[in-house]
Amino acid sequence: MRVLIIDPDPARAALVAEGLIGIDPLEVRLAAVFDESAAAAFQPDVVVVASESPDRDTLESLREASAANPRPVVMFVDRSEPGLAEEAVRAGVAAYVVDGLSAARVRPILEVAMSRFHLMHQLRADLAKAKADLASRKTVERAKSLLMKERALDEEAAYRLLRKLSMDTGRPLGAVAADLLAFAGVLKGGDPI
Amino acid sequence: MSMTGELRLGFIPLVDAAPLIVAQEKGFFAQQGLSVALSREGSWATIRDKVSAGALDGAHMLAPMVLAASLGVGSEPRAMIAPLALNQGGAAVTLSTRLTGDGEPGARLAHLARRRQEEGASPLTLAVVYPYSIHNYLLRHWMAGLGLNPDVDVRLTVAPPSRTADLLAEGVIEGFCAGAPWNAVAEAAGVGQTVARIGDVWPSAPDKVLGVTEFWAAANPAALRALLRALIAAAAWAADVGNKTELAAMLSRPEYLGVTPQAILASLGEICFTGGEVNPPRPEQAHWLLEQMTRWGQIGEVASDKVAERTWRPDLYLAAEGG
Repeated sequence: MRVLIIDPDPARAALVAEGLIGIDPLEVRLAAVFDESAAAAFQPDVVVVASESPDRDTLESLREASAANPRPVVMFVDRSEPGLAEEAVRAGVAAYVVDGLSAARVRPILEVAMSRFHLMHQLRADLAKAKADLASRKTVERAKSLLMKERALDEEAAYRLLRKLSMDTGRPLGAVAADLLAFAGVLKGGDPI
Repeated sequence: MSMTGELRLGFIPLVDAAPLIVAQEKGFFAQQGLSVALSREGSWATIRDKVSAGALDGAHMLAPMVLAASLGVGSEPRAMIAPLALNQGGAAVTLSTRLTGDGEPGARLAHLARRRQEEGASPLTLAVVYPYSIHNYLLRHWMAGLGLNPDVDVRLTVAPPSRTADLLAEGVIEGFCAGAPWNAVAEAAGVGQTVARIGDVWPSAPDKVLGVTEFWAAANPAALRALLRALIAAAAWAADVGNKTELAAMLSRPEYLGVTPQAILASLGEICFTGGEVNPPRPEQAHWLLEQMTRWGQIGEVASDKVAERTWRPDLYLAAEGG
């Protein structure tokens, strides 16, 4: 079977392709946009497409057979598997198949795509959180040094003071530290950081 | 969803998404006690699927999509309704400037299509935005008026509106029918010329509607009423010529349309957001759309009265407007 993956996100497309290696025999191609003549040359049996790709509407229109499109494609819906369609929508992926292809052959491909889309989403969310945590930790370190210098506290005491401010105001430690640095900047007559 | 929960509404980057964007930006949703998250979507198919699966509560939809989804043509059937029409006007046919030199562009297109056939060359390709759209019906009707059979004499394809200007420039397509601002964008780029506007052909054709599932509407009557009231107020704001500059600047932002305010301003004159009979969904519009779908072979015989009554819901509109 030939599978075409259309995803404006190349990293995610590669992740899906990697997941499909386990399914044999499969020939996989990746593209950021759907190119009709390239697709006609490849003749995919299954097209996996990211929900955010505007090319979905082009794929929807290939339902009718024509000279330029001898193999009509339809959106893959497995009626024996209730909830799968909703799950795919939530995962942000859809599959189009050459009309008549058996659901049993397509389902594993869609399932790999769905799990890889979830994984990518999770990886991106983790990365964003790690970046935010790192930035917050740096801010706390700087606020701590400021307190140590201005209030002649040791590191432990400076940290406890920040913790107390955080608990008293019900705000995260990073936010309290950022405020402190900004105010210090203003008091010193510098630009707020 | 309760009145305190967040509503998720989808839109496609088009000028006629203005009522949703204005309701968010100018506080009309908030005035009705609604908290709304707008979600910009890349395709009509995704809009349909997300509304169908409940991943969106409602969306900016092509009017015929509500009928197609309800009838289960092109997708699994899901009962959808149109409790509000968002606009009229904006759809237009734009041809490549390669065809619009001297003389009548329509006649030139017809001539070229015939010549390609005689020479056995590949047919001219034109694009619409979605199979179930008045853009598809307008382009087909316009070509039929030139004596062309749109299913035989040319090749009709679907292309994302945001790519139409590039596809014209590259010679992949010779023309397209899309909504605002994409005709103005192609004209501004010097690659296309608008040759037919829906306002001159079918001035009262419904273009976009608010689409929700019948299930959601029944389960969330208060939220739907608030949503309709907010959108009616936002449509009035968008229609006020005094707000034109602010509206164009708002829509042009990257999170909304991401095109120049000039392209939006150039299109605003063609679009009616409110006034007269624009917003109430009139069942005769559903009848007319079903006729178009039948004319072009998308559906067979359907019980038009029943379908129109179930999908086009002026009762919900009137209840919101009156209360």
